[in-house]
Amino acid sequence: MEKEILEQGLNHNRRKFLSRLSLGIGSVALGSLMIPDLFSGKSASEEAIMQALPHFAPKAKRIIYLFQNGAPSQLETFDYKPLLTKNFGQELPESIRMGQRLTGMTAGQSSFPLVGSYFEFNQYGQSRAWISSLFPHLSSVVDDLCIVKSMHTEAINHDPALTFFQTGAQVGNRPSMGSWLSYGLGSENENLPAFCVLLSRGKGNGQGVYSKLWSNGFLDARHQGVQFSNSEDPVLYLSDPDGMTRDQRRKMLDHIAAMNDLNYREFNDPQITTKVQQYEMAFRMQTAVPEITDVSKEPDSIVKLYGPECLVPGTYAANCLLARKLSENGVRFVQLYHQGWDAHDNLPNQMIGQAKDVDQASAALITDLKQRGLLDETLVIWGGEFGRTNYCQGKIAPANYGRDHHPRAFSIFMAGGGVKSGIVYGETDDFGYNITENPVHVHDFQATVLHLMGIDHEKLIYKHLGRRYRLTDVHGHVVKDLIA
Amino acid sequence: MRQYSNAIYWLENLLFFWGGLTLILIFGGDSLQVPAWVQVLGRLHPVILHFPLVILLMAVGVFWVGEKSWKDQGRKLLLLGANLAGVTVVAGLILATEDYEGDSLNWHKWLGIISLFISIGIYFSSKKSSKALKFSTSALALVLVLTGHFGANLTHGEDFLFEPLLAKETKTVNLQEAEVFAHLVQPILETKCVACHKEGKIKGELRLDQISGIQKGGKSGPFVVAGDPSASLFFQRIHLPLEDEEHMPPKNKAQLTDEEMEILEQWVAQGATFDQKVSDLPSDTPLFQLASNRFSAESSYDFASASADKVEKLNNFFRKVKPIYPGSPALEVAYFGSSAFDPNSLNDLKSVKDQIVKVNLNRMPLKGVNLDVLSGLPHLEELQLNFSEVSSNQLKTLEGNPSLRRLAISGNSLGPEIIPILESFPNLTHLYFWQSTLSDEEKKKLTSLLSGVEIDFGFDASEVVYQLNPPKIEYKQLMFENATEVSIKHPISTVQIRYTLDETEPDSLNSPLYSGPFPIDKTSTIRTKAFAAEWISSAEDKVVLFKKGNSPKSWNLLTLPNPKYKANGAPTLFDGIKGKANHTSGEWLGYSEQAMELEIFLEEGQSPKNLKIGLLLHEGAYIFPPEKAEYWIGNGNGWKKLDSDPPMISEKIQEARFDLLSQNLPQEDFDRIKIKLSPIQRLPAWHPGAGAKGWVFVDEIYLY
Repeated sequence: MEKEILEQGLNHNRRKFLSRLSLGIGSVALGSLMIPDLFSGKSASEEAIMQALPHFAPKAKRIIYLFQNGAPSQLETFDYKPLLTKNFGQELPESIRMGQRLTGMTAGQSSFPLVGSYFEFNQYGQSRAWISSLFPHLSSVVDDLCIVKSMHTEAINHDPALTFFQTGAQVGNRPSMGSWLSYGLGSENENLPAFCVLLSRGKGNGQGVYSKLWSNGFLDARHQGVQFSNSEDPVLYLSDPDGMTRDQRRKMLDHIAAMNDLNYREFNDPQITTKVQQYEMAFRMQTAVPEITDVSKEPDSIVKLYGPECLVPGTYAANCLLARKLSENGVRFVQLYHQGWDAHDNLPNQMIGQAKDVDQASAALITDLKQRGLLDETLVIWGGEFGRTNYCQGKIAPANYGRDHHPRAFSIFMAGGGVKSGIVYGETDDFGYNITENPVHVHDFQATVLHLMGIDHEKLIYKHLGRRYRLTDVHGHVVKDLIA
Repeated sequence: MRQYSNAIYWLENLLFFWGGLTLILIFGGDSLQVPAWVQVLGRLHPVILHFPLVILLMAVGVFWVGEKSWKDQGRKLLLLGANLAGVTVVAGLILATEDYEGDSLNWHKWLGIISLFISIGIYFSSKKSSKALKFSTSALALVLVLTGHFGANLTHGEDFLFEPLLAKETKTVNLQEAEVFAHLVQPILETKCVACHKEGKIKGELRLDQISGIQKGGKSGPFVVAGDPSASLFFQRIHLPLEDEEHMPPKNKAQLTDEEMEILEQWVAQGATFDQKVSDLPSDTPLFQLASNRFSAESSYDFASASADKVEKLNNFFRKVKPIYPGSPALEVAYFGSSAFDPNSLNDLKSVKDQIVKVNLNRMPLKGVNLDVLSGLPHLEELQLNFSEVSSNQLKTLEGNPSLRRLAISGNSLGPEIIPILESFPNLTHLYFWQSTLSDEEKKKLTSLLSGVEIDFGFDASEVVYQLNPPKIEYKQLMFENATEVSIKHPISTVQIRYTLDETEPDSLNSPLYSGPFPIDKTSTIRTKAFAAEWISSAEDKVVLFKKGNSPKSWNLLTLPNPKYKANGAPTLFDGIKGKANHTSGEWLGYSEQAMELEIFLEEGQSPKNLKIGLLLHEGAYIFPPEKAEYWIGNGNGWKKLDSDPPMISEKIQEARFDLLSQNLPQEDFDRIKIKLSPIQRLPAWHPGAGAKGWVFVDEIYLY
């Protein structure tokens, strides 16, 4: 009897339970209809955001970033300050410096004498932009340039400033801009890496570049920048060893892939498939890279356009030419670094050499992209990690002086890729020390670059260690005035 | 219990009060003078209305359950609900005297009144047959729902309820098509203003849902005064402080953004027109700038998307086919990898021919390939054919293409026969035509024929004359035993390389022409330069290669080098090891304060004819040739000074490099040699360290 009652109770409960359960299942089903990724374990919003990349119609498809490593002086290039020449040797007024911190290199100086540009400035093009005599070739393409004179940054020394520009944070370990774009937009051409790095070095005082600058940080390893070597063989270890035919290589890869597949079935580790894909890409690169690095098919006039140095591997000119070739073959982000701009002393002399290295080839790159109809979809960026002081570091003479690091105001330029052409944006005071108009912070610059690529900088995120990361961290505003 | 019935008694009586008041308001509402406190009561309408709606519907539900014991409860609910409906109707009628009119209002008003009277009717007749009850309650429910719906339309806008279900025809407009009013101004009014200034809810007697209303203005004055924003009432209102009662949109509503305010202001400043196109505005006007921020210059497309599967199928490692941006039906096609190019793969594109707007075939080997498939793309706007060896004949297939806007045909050596084809594209805007074979005349002609087209003929190298970069001398060893091989390279394969071994400067006529690696069997200075037509001859490259000399019997270094640069002392000078081009390498003897003085004692019968001294030069590091180089020979009975060449002079800062001092020795009998090298005392004026002392660095002394 008791058992019966118990069973009765249980039956009743089971029925009740099941009938209620059906309602419950219904509600869960409805819930999953409204939140599609409810059971996929992924955050719906993050997935949706990534799937919708680019977030809107992009203006630029590719970027070539000509990083002038060591920080070229804005006062000898794009920011014309006749007052500094007029007040040569006079003390930097405290009302201008406003107690700003200086580097250890000049903080101990007993005086801060102003020094003007050794080089003459003239106005060029329809924009009447002021450019110094160091850049005769860039002056001739001034109407394609979007010069920003009001950049400012937070770091005052090379490494943190460079890292800040490239990764959005002064400490290392974050993904580089190129890695973010590779992650967000992928490669156009799957036979090449989406992010390539080319290094060159001028004769001026140099500062190192480190592979952390093109690191993938916490993103998947395939987003890391691929550094091209300065030799005749730009991608190392790409050629087959002597005695190995392409067929043998193919067979070897097939066997490795089969073994990796066994492993994958056992462990389900996505890194295994990534690895297999990387092997396959390397195999395709074996034909794609020689096609690109072969300059023999370039017309003769290219040598005159870029300058004869462009045929000497490892020079800035050669890297500009290679950058154009990589870019037109669908490489999303080509990052150049040209070292040697850190002119703490002997600045005029050092800058003559550096400018000679970069002026013609930088202008040539713009002209070359333009004459192929590619400038509209390729964003070219030229600039350093900060600017240089308006006062002299060390001994002062009109033709021989030095300048220390200056993060408060400096100049860069962009061209093509949906930025306005033939404009000069932002203004600094007569001393070239502080920004008086339209400041552009490094994060603003990054936000703008992402915007040009069709990406909302607030939406390109990656969740890592429990927080969402962005290139612009929690900052940055798109500078609409720069966008055509 | 008694009290309870009392309440019902009063509530029943109240029903008549509400009914009567409603009738009075219906018939006498037009002449109603509403005092302020009554107006407040009227404005309570949107708050109260939810109570009768819910309670009456509950009553209907209770009646429908049909159990007898519930019926009584249903009647009580009905009584309460009908009373609340009375309050609501009265408040609504008062509110309606404010700025409301239109169909929605009329339907809402009359349905509301009807629901009041139906509920009163049901209450007093609910003892009748259950069939009649079911019918009448159903009618009540229906009328209530409709009343609510029309009311919601009044506050939230027409079609508020079904808007998510209605197919949205949001055609994206591009800059070419955009109209100032329809696409810039009207959307702002619609999202920020029209909810209150429209048919049915004409706040301030202003209607912004029709052009005539905008032109007419409202109770307080004209909405816009064409050409004069500051006289326009809207301009004043939107710029009032947010706290101001007159500020528009009201404080708790969505506010205008700065950009929207700017657009409205500029629109009025431009004359507040209703049919102007953005593209007709001069491009430097603020309104055009604002518009260009909003509308992409890219075209919008009205053709249907291709199925994602079809598009996916076209993608492989060497061809990418994808929408120009997410959601766009338009596709772009790019080919990569010229060695993998298969001309037949072009035919695959036919499956999405209606969607393709851009094709990139740069560097693909198109020689002789049939390009008919390109002419079968009705929406092709951009075609890139740079360096594809395409011919004018192949491009004929595109002749007259009406959609083509941008064409890139650089690097194909196309001649004048292409001109009629280019001329045939009616909508061409950009032409990239670098590396054509057109003469200047033909270029001019093409430019004038295609007057609206931006043509880029690209970089013209013919008038540019630059200096060649120097050739590079390559060798295995700087210091060799018997002989060594030298080669000279230049990155431009077509240049002439000339060189000399006699220390003269190479020239383009007389110096030997380099044709391949050549041997050297004595210490030599190789100087070379590159020459080419249309180029300035290069700077020179210079290398000194050293043949190992004979060792003397012994030596005596009379003056000690600077302690920082003493290497291994005097033996360093005869060890047969060439130092590196770096004065700190520990292979160089450095002198600055005093001159280097050295005596060399020869082996018996060793009668050298020539003596050479290996120097390092690096002006940047203050390392110069010696100011004075003096040589003596002797045989134990005093010294005889030798005549020597004038001293070597540095004229500018150069990279660290090697050089040689050379001294011929007379055919005389001597068994010892003395050398004195005096460092430069005052650096020349052109040097940053002008006036300071210089250095001399020596690594090796050779006897031949």
